[in-house]
Amino acid sequence: MSERTNTVKVLEARGVKKNFGGVVALSNGNLECEQGRITGLLGANGSGKSTISKIIAGVYRPDAGEIRLHGKPVHYRNPNEARQDGIAMVYQNLSLVADLTVWQNIVLGGEDSRGPFLDNRSAKERARQIVDQLLPGLDIRKTIYELAPGQMQIVEIAKAIFAQPKLLILDEPTAALEKAQVKSLFDTMRKLVAGGVAIVFTSHRLWEVLEICDDVTIFRNGENVGNIDFARDGKDAAKIVSHITGEEMKARARKRRQIAQGEPTMRIRNLRYGELLKDVSFELRKGEILGVGGLAGQGQRELLLALAGSYPGSTGDVEVAGRAVRLTRPSTAIRNSLLLVPGNREQEGLFLKHSLFTNIVFPKLGLSRQPLFTPRNRYAEECRTIVSTLSIRTSGLDAPVRTLSGGNQQKVVVGKWLTFETNVLLLADPAKGVDVGAKRDLYDYILRQVHEGRMSVILYASDNEELVDYCDRLLIMYEGEIVATLEGSEINEDAIVAASMRVSRSAHEASS
Amino acid sequence: MSRRASSLRRAISKPEFSIFLIFVAMLIVTALLQKNFFETKSVVRNINAFAPIILVTMGQAVVIISGGIDLSAGTAVSLITCVLTTVMKKADPVSGVWALLAALAVALMMGVINGIGIGYLRIPPVIVTFATSFMWLGSALFLRPTPGGEAVDWFYVFYNVGSMQGVSEGLKAFTAIFPPALFLILIGCALWYLLSRMRIGRYIYAVGSNSDSAYESGIDTARVQTAACMINSVFLFLAALFFVGQSQSGDARLGDPLTLRAIAAAVVGGIALTGGRGSVYFALVGALILSLVNKIIFFANISYAYQTLVGGVIVIVAIAASQAYTLYNRRIIAGDGVTLS
Repeated sequence: MSERTNTVKVLEARGVKKNFGGVVALSNGNLECEQGRITGLLGANGSGKSTISKIIAGVYRPDAGEIRLHGKPVHYRNPNEARQDGIAMVYQNLSLVADLTVWQNIVLGGEDSRGPFLDNRSAKERARQIVDQLLPGLDIRKTIYELAPGQMQIVEIAKAIFAQPKLLILDEPTAALEKAQVKSLFDTMRKLVAGGVAIVFTSHRLWEVLEICDDVTIFRNGENVGNIDFARDGKDAAKIVSHITGEEMKARARKRRQIAQGEPTMRIRNLRYGELLKDVSFELRKGEILGVGGLAGQGQRELLLALAGSYPGSTGDVEVAGRAVRLTRPSTAIRNSLLLVPGNREQEGLFLKHSLFTNIVFPKLGLSRQPLFTPRNRYAEECRTIVSTLSIRTSGLDAPVRTLSGGNQQKVVVGKWLTFETNVLLLADPAKGVDVGAKRDLYDYILRQVHEGRMSVILYASDNEELVDYCDRLLIMYEGEIVATLEGSEINEDAIVAASMRVSRSAHEASS
Repeated sequence: MSRRASSLRRAISKPEFSIFLIFVAMLIVTALLQKNFFETKSVVRNINAFAPIILVTMGQAVVIISGGIDLSAGTAVSLITCVLTTVMKKADPVSGVWALLAALAVALMMGVINGIGIGYLRIPPVIVTFATSFMWLGSALFLRPTPGGEAVDWFYVFYNVGSMQGVSEGLKAFTAIFPPALFLILIGCALWYLLSRMRIGRYIYAVGSNSDSAYESGIDTARVQTAACMINSVFLFLAALFFVGQSQSGDARLGDPLTLRAIAAAVVGGIALTGGRGSVYFALVGALILSLVNKIIFFANISYAYQTLVGGVIVIVAIAASQAYTLYNRRIIAGDGVTLS
């Protein structure tokens, strides 16, 4: 490798170990990153990517192993010490403060002072410069809670760049972004790399990794199982996937689309909720997977939440199995077998500190008829069945859900409904931040249920690929309205993008 | 929508706007009930009556914004008055200076103890400060089992300069219009103005809003929480100065009713109990609103038992109203896809 003799190793992590309460998160983590290069960090959920990233950024302390920065061993006790050494991280769950403004968040922890006071003018200016590169037009005076998820992600990235890092760790920065935003992120990353920054980039989207990375390190079950240098070994997607899953790649599981002729399970007419949902009407047929797509934040999530009864203020006529239903409370929705798998699992789907058992059993206790004393053993048996059906990786039923990896947590959210009679399953971006293997498990299970005629599904996914793969029919939303319906062979990524951006506006207005 | 109209809508949709409206309404009602409400004399009397709760509320607001709560605020004020009146000897004017220093030291130490419990030991703030409130009460009763003690003459400077000897007529006339209590409040406002322009001011909001994010951003969250408790201590110290200036004595139970009223006032002033949100200055307005409510109940001429009862009901109504208003407006603002959490 003569052309690479003068490269500088910025980061070397060797044999890093970390346990969380009996669950091994990282058994043998090794990661290297060189100046001016982008290293992809790949692996299934729970493979230890986030853990090693957080150890490098000083959030966790390793149980064993060595981390060297520019050849010198480092032992960070908190994120501030790592930051002082030029390490910045974009956190998967974001490190933003909801009540501060965009620019205040970007400079948070690295404020400049003039005398004893904060220098807000220069802070705003520098924040604006960075934001303009990533997302021109974002008002930096807005408060974080006013932003859409994609915008928040951009602010998180801007915040890391503001720290002028020598080593930038990006933990799934693209999961909440649209394609155009990803492109501008990549442009920025290339500029940073040209300026001598070393970048560690984590993503579940393979095409992104193939496009932007110089080499990849792959983790599986807490240790790294492969390093591929694209220049030396070529870009072999199949090889990467087989490293991630530990098995040979299977063909993309495209479902045979069927235009369901069955009678409608659910009829929605004129569903409204403030500015978020304007006059939404559609029908859901029996045994159908109905997709909801469009640009991010056009009311898709709100539509599902409204159907799950989360918005008492929503109005409209809803019919489930021929009976009129008022969906103004989550309990009515659940009693009518409309079950929600929310996208934000940490806030809406789980009791993070409670055990797997409690999380799975809880909806039962609250909503169906219960014997006076809870039959613990029987429920535990049911839980074990659910754990094995969805292949949830856990140290036991008593493990707090917090200790599970993201993908396994999402399975718990689905799992808690398994013992219920399901009419309609509402999936709000169920595979966000879930790895390839877990995603396949999840959708395989849902497809099986649908095929057996046990339920219909409304699926919102931010990833168009999922919509193309699994939907029978697809509604495109724009600013709280349904602007197009795609059916059968019309469902492909180009058509979705075209409809989402309202490329031929008049045609869609005629069709909707 | 034009730019100006939308910025007007933003201003109206801020919770501060509703608080301001409530304040104006209260002012009007009180002025109708009390004919001489706007006369200098009664304005001064009201400032004196409201000063302690205003100061304690502002301190409480700082702690709540940082994600904590201080249930020991009232007994802390009591203890500070006891320290002041124990160290001071009426005959020795210099002892007043020592008393000030000792009391400030004790106040800050109380802040540090609360801060260590909340920030470093990670005990829930409600538990820490409920426990320390008994520590302060015990210490205060030890120093002063019954109300009393003595204060140097010049301590009147914190209440009524007119009753001091050897003060020029001009100064007396001035303080008859601008009472010392007003200056104590202004000192508090100035203190927070300076702090809010420093790192610590920003970090108090950041830690209160989301301490995990703040930690990941490199902020020493335990230190920030301790600092918030110590800033609160300064406000409590100012309140205690007012009390001793007024009564020339210390009282171990004097601050008891202040604690919960200050928390209520802070919430009425738009401070979110979940932390990270609200303005210390509007907490001051909240304290004014609550004080005016008490005045209105007083004018309604009902028995003391009903006054207390109605006072409690009004606090709940006011808090619920201001929260409903905020929720309603956030729903409109959050139109671009963020749902309430």
